[in-house]
Amino acid sequence: MANVIFYILAIIVLACGFMVVTRKNAINAALYLVVAMAAIAGLFAQLGSLFIAALQVIVYAGAIIVLFLFVIMMLNLKRDEFGFDSRLFQRLFGLILGIIFIIQLILIVSRFRPGLPAQAIDPAMGNAAAMSKKLFMQYLYPFEIVSVLLLAALIGAVVMASKRKDR
Amino acid sequence: MAPLANYLVLAAILFALGVWGVLRNRNALIIFMCIELMLNAVNLTFMGFSAYLNDYSGQVFVFLIMAVAAAEVAVGLAIIVSIFRHKENVNVDEINVMKW
Amino acid sequence: MDYSLLIPEVVLFVWALVLLLYNASAKTENPRAIGLFALIGLVAAFVILWFVPDGSLFGKTFISDTYARGFKMIFLLAAIVTVIGSVDFASKHMKHTGEFYSLIMLCVTGMMFLASAGELISLYVALELSTISLYILAAFLKKDLKSTEAGLKYLILGAASSGILLYGLSLLYGLTGSTVLDEIGYRLFLNEGTTIAAVFAIVMFVAGFGFKLAAAPFHMWAPDVYEGAPTPVTAFLSVASKAAGLVAFVRLFFNSLLAIKPEWVVIVEIVAILAMVVGNVVALLQKNIKRMLAYSSIAQVGYVLVALSAGIDLSVTSMMIFLLAYLFANIGAFIVVIAFSNATGSDNIEDYSGLWKRKPSLAIVMTIYMLSLVGIPLTGGFIAKYFLFGAAVKEGLYTLVVIAILTSVISLFYYMNVVRIMMFRPAPSADKIALPWMIKLGLAISVIMVLLIGIWPGPFYAWGQLASTIFHF
Repeated sequence: MANVIFYILAIIVLACGFMVVTRKNAINAALYLVVAMAAIAGLFAQLGSLFIAALQVIVYAGAIIVLFLFVIMMLNLKRDEFGFDSRLFQRLFGLILGIIFIIQLILIVSRFRPGLPAQAIDPAMGNAAAMSKKLFMQYLYPFEIVSVLLLAALIGAVVMASKRKDR
Repeated sequence: MAPLANYLVLAAILFALGVWGVLRNRNALIIFMCIELMLNAVNLTFMGFSAYLNDYSGQVFVFLIMAVAAAEVAVGLAIIVSIFRHKENVNVDEINVMKW
Repeated sequence: MDYSLLIPEVVLFVWALVLLLYNASAKTENPRAIGLFALIGLVAAFVILWFVPDGSLFGKTFISDTYARGFKMIFLLAAIVTVIGSVDFASKHMKHTGEFYSLIMLCVTGMMFLASAGELISLYVALELSTISLYILAAFLKKDLKSTEAGLKYLILGAASSGILLYGLSLLYGLTGSTVLDEIGYRLFLNEGTTIAAVFAIVMFVAGFGFKLAAAPFHMWAPDVYEGAPTPVTAFLSVASKAAGLVAFVRLFFNSLLAIKPEWVVIVEIVAILAMVVGNVVALLQKNIKRMLAYSSIAQVGYVLVALSAGIDLSVTSMMIFLLAYLFANIGAFIVVIAFSNATGSDNIEDYSGLWKRKPSLAIVMTIYMLSLVGIPLTGGFIAKYFLFGAAVKEGLYTLVVIAILTSVISLFYYMNVVRIMMFRPAPSADKIALPWMIKLGLAISVIMVLLIGIWPGPFYAWGQLASTIFHF
């Protein structure tokens, strides 16, 4: 049963991912991306981590995609305005590189043996309390760095997007 | 639960799709979306390992990657808006970015 | 827990916030006052840094050791010299100077966090803090399409390369089950037979860091970004972002991946050769001085990778000396570019003709920087190259050293071309070029340091050696 759910979600992710990559229109791509993100959230939930799954929906499918759609609407791009690059070489190069890459990745990753023996899943896994304990004890330092990072991004976004005239 | 290799292979294919999209597309907005696909593939790998190693570090990593990705997208879209004010265009070829 | 280890970073961060608030509350924007204010904060952090002891926090997540502090000094010095040279540029071309300087300070804070990161999550997050600030700084001249394009290009390729780096990190995490660098090194040392995935992770790391270092074949963003970004940002970017890439690269490879050194040496060697050849050859064709310096920086990072592929303690020592010498020579050269383009509005190498007649002192200091970048004796660049190639010779990497020396000879042509044009071509106009005192100060500091490293390298060697003691080869 778990396997069936996994395959259904995996097919949705890959199909939507493929659609994102091949769309001409940014709005269509963004909508397929939402579906892919939601399916990935399902995979996270299946792995037992409901907290991260919820975050995936809230942050990615919620905030980031809405931001994308907002900018697309604001720029008011017309349909099919931006076609593909006409240079065949670049497209072929990308495709060939991508295929080689996939084959390599699958070869390597399917034989992957983690250095530690796989353990039975902990029933507390996915428990937000357990994760936040780790986050605020051992990983307090990167957490604080992220807060500085968000501040820097905030300043940057305001500077870049503001239309303020000279004072 | 599906075996670990399933998650890893799915993530690998998704990652390769994202890389292909970055190389193939000329629209800066879609390139950003493909980068998000790459980051999601990474997140999936981390979550798979985290579950199978029974270690929360991977989940913390995913949590912080999400925050960084959001910041990156915000800055990127602000720059795109700023470029759009100059030229009514977000095609990376026509604004002459990405001369390989 | 001794939180005093974090004081320099906290001071810098708080100072950036105060600067931002001060700027927001001021009625009129005064770039000079803001620049000086930022300078005081950077110098204060630099002074405090001397008194920070060794130690670690949060279970080795934050490490303060000689290596980290050495790099923090490099980042702070780069920012100090850049800010000194940029005040004039900022007051002439920029709006939002308060945000500009606070972003530079946040960027340096990120790089300092990066130098101290002892674990993968903080390493990634700190790297992103510094690069996201740099994306914005590169795009800072909103009125100039070239600058915003530079920002977009830098961001797209930077974000994609971070994704690649992250995929490598995720494989490493899966292989070892830990994110702490020491722990990873220990577990890689213990288990054999996982090498294919490890090699793949290494390829990802080299590609990801290659982008940050602008080493060929991952250099394609560098020329456009260097040309398009505001010149002070280019100056800072050319030194600090390379140093930031190197600090993380070396800590990861020499601390965690040393157990599988035979797997990565070849890859690093290939990138080194490509960087030296591509950088030096393509630089010959450049007409714009910022683009020329971009390709020169690609070549210079190739020399560092030659030393790093030796993988001994002299590699780290020589890299530290190199970065210090390169910092002053390169930022100095960019300050000359700032002064010249402020006076004439041009970045073309041809327009430098007759600079000797128009402003002899500017032509002389530029010549000294160029000589240092080539690596002529009595300049810091010579000492740096001597130790870099010395490290490679010590490990018997003769092919690499021969290629490095041959490409250095090629580099002589384009560096000396600038000198030839400045000294021997007739001046297009007899107008003298006036130099503001801040620019003079920046030029003076960098010339003195370049010559000091070249003439009296002893203390700098000792400093670099101290930084290399934390690695166990």
